[in-house]
Amino acid sequence: MKTESTVKFVLRLALTLFAITAVVAGCLAGVNAITEPRIAALNEEKTQAAIEAVLPGGGTLAGTWSDSTGFVSKVYESDTGYAVEVKPNGFDNTITMMVGVDKAGKVLGISVISHTETAGLGATCAAKTAAGEAFRDQFAGMSGQVAVTKDGGSVDAITGATITSRAVCAGVNAALECVANMG
Amino acid sequence: MNFKKQFKEGLLTKNPVTVQLLGMCSTLAITTSLFNGIGMGLSVLVILTCSNILISALRKVIPNQIRIAAYIVIIAGFVTIVDLLLKAFIPALSENLGVFIPLIVVNCIVLGRAEAFASKNTVLASAVDGITQGIGYTVALVIMCVIRELLGSGTFGGGLLNGGEGIRIIPAQFPAMQMVMPVGGFLVLGCVIAGSQWLMKHLEKTSKKKEAVK
Repeated sequence: MKTESTVKFVLRLALTLFAITAVVAGCLAGVNAITEPRIAALNEEKTQAAIEAVLPGGGTLAGTWSDSTGFVSKVYESDTGYAVEVKPNGFDNTITMMVGVDKAGKVLGISVISHTETAGLGATCAAKTAAGEAFRDQFAGMSGQVAVTKDGGSVDAITGATITSRAVCAGVNAALECVANMG
Repeated sequence: MNFKKQFKEGLLTKNPVTVQLLGMCSTLAITTSLFNGIGMGLSVLVILTCSNILISALRKVIPNQIRIAAYIVIIAGFVTIVDLLLKAFIPALSENLGVFIPLIVVNCIVLGRAEAFASKNTVLASAVDGITQGIGYTVALVIMCVIRELLGSGTFGGGLLNGGEGIRIIPAQFPAMQMVMPVGGFLVLGCVIAGSQWLMKHLEKTSKKKEAVK
């Protein structure tokens, strides 16, 4: 760059990169504006479906809730029980799931809303396959403390995904504790 | 520009997975069912083609000193667009591929082709390069998926056929779980690379024989 002064050269670099970044950011804003409502609607739909799945008839958002782990994020209440949204730490990131608990403190069922577990292994916890159903169904009727068989409990872990299975157990425990605290 | 030659390069002689050994992370991680393989392959194909076209079009505007930063911004933009679109319109695929879609940003295939091809060639040639390399990547993934799914889960077409269960070929008690775990990924990748090397040697020999006959 013989004809260009250093200041001009550096400015040219900065401005080119700035222009590219600005255009890309603009495009992303546009795409986000289109997809955001759809993604939000899908998530809401999934949450509602998950509540329905674990608490027949659905429920309304309950007042206050507490547990010692901090996994509980929302509690929905109905005449027959509670649907507790918990976010335990999975293998990769938090698993968002709904746990149905009846008034006597028994698990009605669980449903996974979102997760980023390994495809083919931990992802089974949310999969609509026979293995996934079998894993989730075994929680129904449990109470007190649940744990995988490796930890002395009675939950059969997903093959090759003990950490995911432990996380789901931790989520169920948090939900049970939360409901116990609610009285 | 030679489409046929580029196609052969993308598919076999310069296949991004089996010859260039790029993008190994996603290759090993997501090749557990046919649905994942096709979804990931097509996502990379689209992103690779788009970023190749744009980078090629801008190749004379982007100063050499900041080219890597500029490429990454462009690639990241396309990846995020695809990620958002998948989340909104094909949520099932987005859930299965998880973190590997955002990770396409750092997938060496995309940056590698931008640096090695798109920055030096015309827009049309770069578009063709994106498509052929994308097809090569997809084909390699699909082959790995089919082998790993068959040996690891005993099914074919998981996530796609038979309501997501896949068609069961081996009874449920026999498949070796290890094949869908990382160790199976490395084993199958090695075999697929060996197979593609054999195929290349084989093709070379037959083409030489033909020449000798002439």
